[in-house]
Parts: sequence; C-alpha cells; structure tokens
Amino acid sequence: MKKFLTGITTAAMLMGSAAYAETTLKLVEVITSPERTKVLQGIVDGYEAANPDVTVEIISLPWGQAFEKLATMVAGGDIPDVVEMPDTWQALYAGSGQLASLTDHVADWEHGATLTDKTIAMGSQAGDLYMIPYGFYLRAMFYNKALLAEAGVEPPETMADFMAASAAVSELDGKSGYCLRGGPGGTNGWVMMAAAMNGTNDFFTEDGKSRMNEPGSVEGIQFMLDLYQKGYAPKDAVSWGFNEIVAGFYSGTCAFLDQDPDALIAISERMPAEDFAVIPMPVGPSGKAFPTIGFAGWSIFKATEHEDKAFDLVAALSAPEANGTWAKRVGVIPVHKGADQDPYFQTEQFEGWFKELNGAQYEPTTMPTYLEKWGYFASTVVLETSQEALLGQRSAQDLADEWAEFLTDEHAKWQAKQ
Amino acid sequence: MAGKAVIARAKTTVVSGGTGARRSLYWQYMVEPFLYLSPMILLIGSVMLIPLIVGISYSFQSIELLNPFATGWVGFENYEKLWSDRKFWIALENTFFWTFWSIFFQFFLGLGLAMLLNTQFFGKKLFQALVFLPWAVPTFLSALTWAWLFNPVIGPIPHWLAALGVLSEPYNILGDPDLAIWGPITANIWFGVPFFAITLLAALQSIPGELYEAAEIDGATPWQSFTKITLPFLAPMIAITVMLRTIWIANFADLIFVMTGGGPANSTQILSTYIFTTAFRKLDFGYASTIAVALLIILLAYAVILLWMRKRLVKI
Repeated sequence: MKKFLTGITTAAMLMGSAAYAETTLKLVEVITSPERTKVLQGIVDGYEAANPDVTVEIISLPWGQAFEKLATMVAGGDIPDVVEMPDTWQALYAGSGQLASLTDHVADWEHGATLTDKTIAMGSQAGDLYMIPYGFYLRAMFYNKALLAEAGVEPPETMADFMAASAAVSELDGKSGYCLRGGPGGTNGWVMMAAAMNGTNDFFTEDGKSRMNEPGSVEGIQFMLDLYQKGYAPKDAVSWGFNEIVAGFYSGTCAFLDQDPDALIAISERMPAEDFAVIPMPVGPSGKAFPTIGFAGWSIFKATEHEDKAFDLVAALSAPEANGTWAKRVGVIPVHKGADQDPYFQTEQFEGWFKELNGAQYEPTTMPTYLEKWGYFASTVVLETSQEALLGQRSAQDLADEWAEFLTDEHAKWQAKQ
Repeated sequence: MAGKAVIARAKTTVVSGGTGARRSLYWQYMVEPFLYLSPMILLIGSVMLIPLIVGISYSFQSIELLNPFATGWVGFENYEKLWSDRKFWIALENTFFWTFWSIFFQFFLGLGLAMLLNTQFFGKKLFQALVFLPWAVPTFLSALTWAWLFNPVIGPIPHWLAALGVLSEPYNILGDPDLAIWGPITANIWFGVPFFAITLLAALQSIPGELYEAAEIDGATPWQSFTKITLPFLAPMIAITVMLRTIWIANFADLIFVMTGGGPANSTQILSTYIFTTAFRKLDFGYASTIAVALLIILLAYAVILLWMRKRLVKI
C-alpha cells in the first residue's frame, strides 16, 4: 500500500512538472546508435535547462526502416516538430512543401552568419533554406607517411602524381599503393575518378544524356582499372568493402585510402597520429577534383505549432560549440566558419577536408539520389560490372556505355515525372 | 415437370439396395478423415500452399516495387527473359558446383567423424561436444569469421596456403574469381559436417552389434563388414539426409551473401543469392519469383530422382 501511494504521488508530481512545461517538441533522429543518441540527449538536456517551459521528446528510428517509418508518421498526421534530415530525402520533403523555411530564422540567429557558404548552399533548395546541415561526410585522401617516405615520393596533388606514387609504393615488398574499394560501396570511387578526369561533376548534359561515357569519364574509369591491373592495389581489393579498405590502410598494406571522416575513428584507434595524414583528393587535368559529399542536418516541419521554439532547438543543436561536439563524436566536418581553428580539427588528419571545403579547385559532388533506381545502380550494377572490368573481362568503354545507358534511362523517367 | 421428378425418384429407388452401405463407406473413408484433418489441412494450406501459389503467380506478372503502377500479367515474358539471361546461367552453374562440393565434403567428413565417434576412446565426450559446436554458431557469424580468416591482413589461411605452395603469394582467394567459391564452400563444410555426423552416428548406433560379431566369426575383413553391414544399414538414412541437405544447400544463401556477396563479378553468385538481389536490390519481385520457380523445378526433379533411386537401390 505504501509503495502504491508513493507511486501515485510520484506520478502526480511528474504530471505536475509536465504541466509546467507548456510546450513539448518532438524530435525524430533517423541515423541512430546508442552512443550517438547519448550525445544528442546531452545537447538536448542543455537546451531544456535553458528553456524550462519546453520538453523535448526524442524518437530514434533505426536507419534501416527510417524512411518508411518517418513517411508513415508524416502521412498519418503524427508529424514531428524537428527532424534529422539526410541529404537524400531533402528534395522529397522540401519539394512537397512539408518543411518550414529557415531563411528568416537563420538571418536573425546570432550564429547564422558563421555558417559556411557551402553549408547554406547544401541546405537550400530553390532559394530557400530548409535544413541546417550538422556536418559533412566528405571524401579525402588518407596517406601512410612511412610508406611514402620509404618509396621516396611526396603526397600527390594531381591524378598523375597519384598514379606515380601508387606505382612507387607498390615496388616495396608486400605493399600496394591504393586501398581500392572494388566491393560493396565502391561507386563513389568510380564517380570521383571519372569526374576528375572529365573535368566536371555534372551527371547529365542539358538534354539529359549521362556524361558517364564521355571520353574523359572513360579515361577516369580506365585510371581505376590501371591502378588495379598494374598491381598498384592489392589483388583481393576487387572485393574489398569498407572494413577491408580501412583494415588494409591501418595495417600498412596499402598507402592511400579515400574515405570520409568517420573512417578516422577506426583508423586513429589503431594507428599513431604521426603515421598518417589526410590530403585533398588529387585533381584531374582540368585542375579540379570532385570529392563526393554526403550530409544530414536538422529541419523543421511546417505543420509544427511551435515553430519558434522548434528553431530554438535547432539553433541549440547547431550552435558552434554543440556542432563541434557533435562533429567530433559522429565523425563529420563541422559547419561553422572557424571550426578549423579548434585544436581537434587543426591536425594533419583534418587538414585535407578543410582544404577541400575551402578551396575553389574542389567541387563537392552530390550523387543523383533522386533517380529511383540509383540505389540498385550503386549497390548492384556498379559492383558487378566494375568487378568484371577490374578482372579484365570487359573494357572501360564497355562499362561506361552500360552505366551511361542505365543512368540516361533513369534520368528520362525522372524528367517525365517532373 | 412432375413426370421428371417421378422418374428421378424411380431411379433412386432402383439402386436403393446398396446406397446405405456405400454412403457409410464413402463417409467413413472419404469424408470423415478429412473432417478430422481439416484444421491441419487449413493450416498447411494457408502457410504453405497459398504462398507457393501466390509466389508462382508472381512469376507471370510484372511486379516492380519502383513501378507500382505498371503491374499486371505478362504471361511467359519473365521466363523468356530468364532463358536469355546470362547471369542466370552463370548462377545455375555455380549452384551445381557449390552444392556438389559442399555435399561431397560434408558427407564424407561427416561419415568419417560418425564412425570415429562410434568407437570408444579417451575424451570422447569432449571431442563429441567440439564436433557439434559449428552447428550452434549462427551462420552470419561463421560467415564473417571465415571471411576474416581468408583475409591475409588479419587471417592466417592465406599465409598457410602460400607456405604450402598452394598459393603463389598470400592473397585473399575471395577476391579471385577462379577460387572465390571455395571460400564459402570451406565455411559450409565446417558448418555442415556436424549435421551428417549426428544423423549418421544415430543410424550407426542402431545397427545390432551381433551382426558384426557374426561377421567376425565368419572371417569377414573390416572392409567387408563396412560394405556388407554398415553401408546397407546406413543407406536409407544416407539417401534422406543427402536429399535434404542438397535442397538445403542449394537454397542456402547466407554464407555466400555475407562472405562474397556473389562477387567478384558474379563468380560466386548462386541462384538463391541472385533471387535475393533481384528481389531486394532491384526490387523486381516478378523476375525474382521466376528464378525461384526455376530453382524449385530443378530441386523437385532432383528429389524425385533421388527418391526413385532410394526405392530401387535400398532393399531394407
């Protein structure tokens, strides 16, 4: 009985405190892990302490089913106030008029001016800001200092340097130049090399034709095939995925690895910081490189009844200090100007990414994820056909033609729906 | 109208002599058993037959999740596509290779282990527990473990193979299109030997010991005892386990999917992994069902042949 009474009293007190918080904001996160949710909860706790009248309810959707779950929530009228928005869904939600414009809010926000230009550009669609990105997954080139020194080469700046350096490292006994990702998730590599050699990261011409089989792109594809076939990448790299390339790098089997900052977490655990560094992706004959970029950020649904409070929450999440903490834990590049002055980011390990973000010769490439069969193309078509080419069963031109045909068809389908 | 009714009635009265008995026979043998069985029939029908029929019907339709409005019956279009699909034929060949060599090694190693465990030796119980261990490991985990064992950066196998002179240098055979399929086959052998060991050991223990004693008195050699007593007694069990395992292994995509994903360049793609990628990557359920029906037909034909052989060859 005593326990029961205590329970009732506690419940009443909790209800009392809930009534005191006049506003409840629902925040949905979609790329989850327990560790990550803890960091998010920490930032949200700080916000709640500063705004005692607001309670934030965090809903974590597992990434595997997040797309369907969020779409069902929204369609069913259970619309969150704030949502974590991956780049691949932004076009869908902003395009269908579901998201609140953040342009005016950011203009009035004390930290609005320090957001980098690329951050604003990435979060905008048709001239309006719909998302404040919280960080970038940008490709840059890791390199093993000891191996390069042993081979007597400098970190490469151009594609030609890169090929030469890979060749030199491969001369060493049991070592290879490039941790080539021939297996799952290798699409970004092919796209970047093709774009670097072709001098543009446009996927389609104005009349909707894929640029994938233009002579420049074919050269880029051939570049990758050469790296492998000349023995500048390990023989079994033809089936390497993320874990294998990262292991190949930290074990010193190969000297170069192109990856996002989230690979840094695994690498820095197993490799002393002085043994490796990160440089921008090598530039092609046009003097440009096109590292692929992925991002996610915070958006507000238009249907919210507390838009100002919701923006306060987004602002709290995006404030330079919170963003810095977030970026360090999640493994992304932060979004505020001057973040590169943080001692954590001022290491050689981060230099490459900041150079890419700030240098005019580096144009980040976003994948055409709006194409319906892009997922199938990237995960299956590219994987199977590129392996055939790496193993010498087909030519670069052949590969490029098949990819171009697929993409041109998909693009036409997409255009017909517009 | 009345006249017709009269005729009909007249007809029934003509045969009425035997009707009562026949109806009860009919009731006893044709209706009543099925009435009792009906809950089970309903259950089997709803969980097996209906999905099977739905699955087969999918193979005659166009069902692409990404084109939800272009669904409909397409007749044999999917089957024509299958006939000219290069990847299907590669996958079919790989399915035979994968199934044959997996079964071959699983069976003979399993038989050897069962014969060994059927004798008495020190520490037998511990050994027996160890032999059955792989069976308890989730396939996903064993696939990951084996994939890493084959990785020269971390795993020992490539270095051993190179030291033995099998490989020219320690590299990952999972990346070599000519050898890659042996990776999942090795993992499958490791995983599947306990099954044969357990079932064959049970069959071995059921053979009466007197038979061996009698054979020994008659002066039979161990080889003669094995071929004249052991094998005939094991044969029914062998036939059924080999059939079950063949069907199982031909359908068993987990190891391949985790270890090689069907690659490199489709060299380890078997029909069931091809079905998986077609259905869940390409989201083309119609075509995936067509491949599944092809696999079903092959396995059915195999089962019929094996059961026929069992009937002809096994006398007990």
